[in-house]
Amino acid sequence: MMGPLLRTEFLKIKRKGFWLLTFLGPFGVVALQMVNYGVRKDYLFQQSDDRWAYYLHNVHDFTPLALVLGIVILTSLMASIENETNAWKQLMSLPVSKYSVYLSKFTVLSFFLLAASFLLMVFTLLYGIFLDLGPDIPYADLARYSFYPFFASLPVLALQLWAAVIFRNQGIPVALGVFGVILTYSSYSLPDWLIWKWPTLMNGWNEPVLNVLWGLLAGCALYVFGMIDFARRDVK
Amino acid sequence: MEFIIETSGLTKKFGKDTAVSGLNMKVPKGEVYGFLGPNGAGKTTTIRMLLGLMKPTSGTIHIFQKDLQKERISILKRVGSLVEQPSYYPHLTGYENLEAIRKILGVPEKRIAAVLELVGLSDAAHKKVKGYSLGMKQRLGIAASLLHDPELLILDEPTNGLDPSGMKEVRNLLKRLAEEEGKTIVISSHLLSEIDQVATTVGVLLKGKLIFQDSIAAMRKQAQQKIKLRVSDGEEAWRTLLSRGMKVDFKEGAVFLENASDEKAAEAVAVLVENGFAVYRVEEQKSSLEEIFLQMTKGERDK
Ligand SMILES: Nc1ncnc2c1ncn2[C@@H]1O[C@H](COP(=O)(O)OP(=O)(O)OP(=O)(O)O)[C@@H](O)[C@H]1O
Ligand SMILES: [Mg+2]
Repeated sequence: MMGPLLRTEFLKIKRKGFWLLTFLGPFGVVALQMVNYGVRKDYLFQQSDDRWAYYLHNVHDFTPLALVLGIVILTSLMASIENETNAWKQLMSLPVSKYSVYLSKFTVLSFFLLAASFLLMVFTLLYGIFLDLGPDIPYADLARYSFYPFFASLPVLALQLWAAVIFRNQGIPVALGVFGVILTYSSYSLPDWLIWKWPTLMNGWNEPVLNVLWGLLAGCALYVFGMIDFARRDVK
Repeated sequence: MEFIIETSGLTKKFGKDTAVSGLNMKVPKGEVYGFLGPNGAGKTTTIRMLLGLMKPTSGTIHIFQKDLQKERISILKRVGSLVEQPSYYPHLTGYENLEAIRKILGVPEKRIAAVLELVGLSDAAHKKVKGYSLGMKQRLGIAASLLHDPELLILDEPTNGLDPSGMKEVRNLLKRLAEEEGKTIVISSHLLSEIDQVATTVGVLLKGKLIFQDSIAAMRKQAQQKIKLRVSDGEEAWRTLLSRGMKVDFKEGAVFLENASDEKAAEAVAVLVENGFAVYRVEEQKSSLEEIFLQMTKGERDK
């Protein structure tokens, strides 16, 4: 069942700007560093002996914000496709299970976020090479900084998808999303258990991989909760 | 008789309000079932439950003799439907809208052109649905419901928003699907006149209760035949007939004879002539189905 549903979902997001947003997010994050390094490259080069590591940190300063914001926009866009003319009733009158519909939406969103993470890696690498940061390119760290935030943000994705799909009024998921973006922005001073802090990869143990593990666990839990709740409700 | 849809004690409550109450709906195979009721009667709510979009508060639904709750997906493979205002993806073309549904149904791509042709949308196939008129959107919805050539069609006010010729086209299409292809069709409406030419069975819903369910022929029988008599002194004539124990009414200067058989009519005329009334006109008055429907729904309302 998933194959046809996924193909349908990809058809439905046509002309909705998903690809553009997927490009703009990571591009924006790296573009901020283009400005940053463009203006005060010499100063920044003096800050650390390991120019690559310092550069990756700078890029990563904005990744969580862009990611959480991207999740809010994409989930809302995704739900609006069905909400706009209440196409839920048409979709759910087809021989499909509610679980597979929910899973297909989640899968498509994950796909675009992963694609954005991949683009982030490419853009970061290219601009890093352009800056001539040194011969030893830290590929492992580059991949970590590009993909870890995605896994760490899965709970936010699951929560936003649930809210976007459940509430007729899109103001509610958007308000929740804005609240989340603010929390992510100010996460430095927030406790480790807040899911909006996780994409920053910060925690008391200084082990970014912990955020990935928590993200996967809590993401799965919130996803299952959302899916069951979605299936339990009457179709709008 | 084989029933394609059979509900038993079907009930739906929204909080304290009961939208549908104890429905025992029976839709025979191959029939066009006209599902009638005034606004807010609970037609859409019932149809949503038949499609598994809403869970009944109590009661059961069997479609194709299968329990909907247990075999929803295998049942829906054989059901085409349209619920309330048409749903569509405005940023896609008509063709793409059908393609999105076709992929899920897994039918050949040539079905799209076939159903577009059937509802007369071939020319607009590659226009965005955003630019369609309401009637065109409704047609697209009907086309979507026919994609997988379903055995059962459940259509909620499918002629909503169509112009008279469009309505006629849809009626003819439904008639053909029922008569030539043996499909079973449930079609809801708040107007009997919209469906009396296609429906073979009628269910009348009022305030969530099914107050009538039978063939349209049986409904026609209920159309009481009245004889209207125009006579010289209406009121006096009415008294005379009443005193003979006849069932008569006096309205607008004329005498009305209820449930009049040929013998009764002859007797009444004879009595009038004997008593010196001049009988100007004897007319048969048949109330239309619409009037019966109105009577049915009005009668209940007054109670
Ligand atoms: N989701 C809902 N929540 C609360 N009440 C509802 C809901 N859906 C329907 N109702 C109520 O149930 C009753 C029946 O509504 P329904 O839409 O089934 O009527 P209908 O026969 O389809 O009317 P119409 O001819 O106007 O389409 C109405 O009183 C309506 O207010
Ligand atoms: Mg309705």
